[in-house]
Amino acid sequence: MGRLGRLGAVIAAVACVAVVVAYQATRPASAVSNPVVFIPSPAFYERLSPSTRLTVADVYWLYTIQYYGEHVDSDHRLDSLPAMIRLVTTLSPHFREAYFFGAFDMIDAGRPDIGYALLERGFKANPSDWRFPFYLGFFAYTFAPQADKDSVASQWYATAAKLPGAPQFVGRMAAELATNGNEQRKALELWTLVYVQGDKYSRQKAVAALDKLLPADKVAREKAVASLKDLVPPDLFDQFIADVFARYL
Amino acid sequence: MSRVAAVAVNTFRETIRDRVLAVILLFALAMIVASLWLASISLGQEGRMIKDFGLVAVSVFGLVVATFVAASLVRKEVDKRTVFVIFSKPVSRAEFIWGKFAGLAGTMFAVVAGMTVFLFLLAWNVAGGPSGSILVAGLLIYLQLLVVVAVTMFFSTFTSAILASVLGICVFVAGQLSHNVLSLTRLGHSGVTRAVSESVFYVIPNLSAVDVRASLAGEGAIRATSLAAWSVYLAAYAVVALIAASWIFRRKEF
Repeated sequence: MGRLGRLGAVIAAVACVAVVVAYQATRPASAVSNPVVFIPSPAFYERLSPSTRLTVADVYWLYTIQYYGEHVDSDHRLDSLPAMIRLVTTLSPHFREAYFFGAFDMIDAGRPDIGYALLERGFKANPSDWRFPFYLGFFAYTFAPQADKDSVASQWYATAAKLPGAPQFVGRMAAELATNGNEQRKALELWTLVYVQGDKYSRQKAVAALDKLLPADKVAREKAVASLKDLVPPDLFDQFIADVFARYL
Repeated sequence: MSRVAAVAVNTFRETIRDRVLAVILLFALAMIVASLWLASISLGQEGRMIKDFGLVAVSVFGLVVATFVAASLVRKEVDKRTVFVIFSKPVSRAEFIWGKFAGLAGTMFAVVAGMTVFLFLLAWNVAGGPSGSILVAGLLIYLQLLVVVAVTMFFSTFTSAILASVLGICVFVAGQLSHNVLSLTRLGHSGVTRAVSESVFYVIPNLSAVDVRASLAGEGAIRATSLAAWSVYLAAYAVVALIAASWIFRRKEF
């Protein structure tokens, strides 16, 4: 190849590179994709082997995050999100973070009812995880009809407080909501449990709340406290009596 | 026994020196590292993603090595006529097949162990703690791949190397779905269909009976007894495939 030939080859190569770069550079910036995408039914994948199911769940988990991130700040349409989360959690029922992520995203999608149902499903699959009833309590308190919300949320928090690993404040929240919901007996029992199970701070809060809830009359108070005796361990009962009757000392 | 060992050592040396193997291994390690990127977009699920996609990479690249190397192992000796030199020595055809398998099993161990230990260290670094299940999963992948090696070697005794590779991959995929065949068997109303699908269920290796990957993500625990039973099953299946390969190879005329 002569000098002219080599020059021609270099020019051809440069021209081709320019064409390639120009083509890519003139591609339109990525538009927001369609908010309605095809998500196969979980049944489609359920017959696959466990490891394949898990990997499909993880792939859809990544896809769900991208989908949420793309639409939540642009067109605010999350039409396919419920189907995506249902697919991920059906294929990997113990993938707890997927339930939580999905439930809170349903608030953005304007469907907290689906989020609530998702958490209920997650709690069925993971009955020992206190976070499910805790978040269910949050959803109930935030989105349930005004009349029910305190008592339903209190019920969920009370369930969460009984599970291993639940922080002390969950029991206090259950008791507080039962008090707000005018459920006198339930509130008394929950505050007593907070007193029994709680730390020093929880115990102070429980004594203050019980003092307000229990009758001011000493005889009536003795009767009410006697009805709570079964909830307090014998070794703690004297201290409990001293605390709830402190105002009479 | 010493003749099998001699063939095995030679096969191990031959395959481990293969540059293609090194390239595939490097590519696999790159894919495992790439799972870090997937982990970074997983919203707090870094450990789970690295373990899952990392083990997928170990399995897929292990399969590539297993099928392509196993398919060419016997064919190459036959095509290059080096098999005549070997058989001029007191080495039986069965010993040749078993030696080839043992040598490749050693290579596969080095390949899978290398990838698994790399993944183990990477996951340790990301998750902040060691996960012994990765090593168990690596061992199970190795056992699965040994079955694929044996089956591919069986195919390579009577077909071309390419076809043997393709069939080996097909057996791996079918093995992952073998329990579906059983489900179909139960659904079937025709006696003939049921008999055929039941036979297929027994012929296809059951490669999905136990999976550590699911337990890595907290989707159920694995019992040691089922792990042991499955390992024995896989070993038995590989032995059957190798016996069949030896039988066909013994009758082969060059």
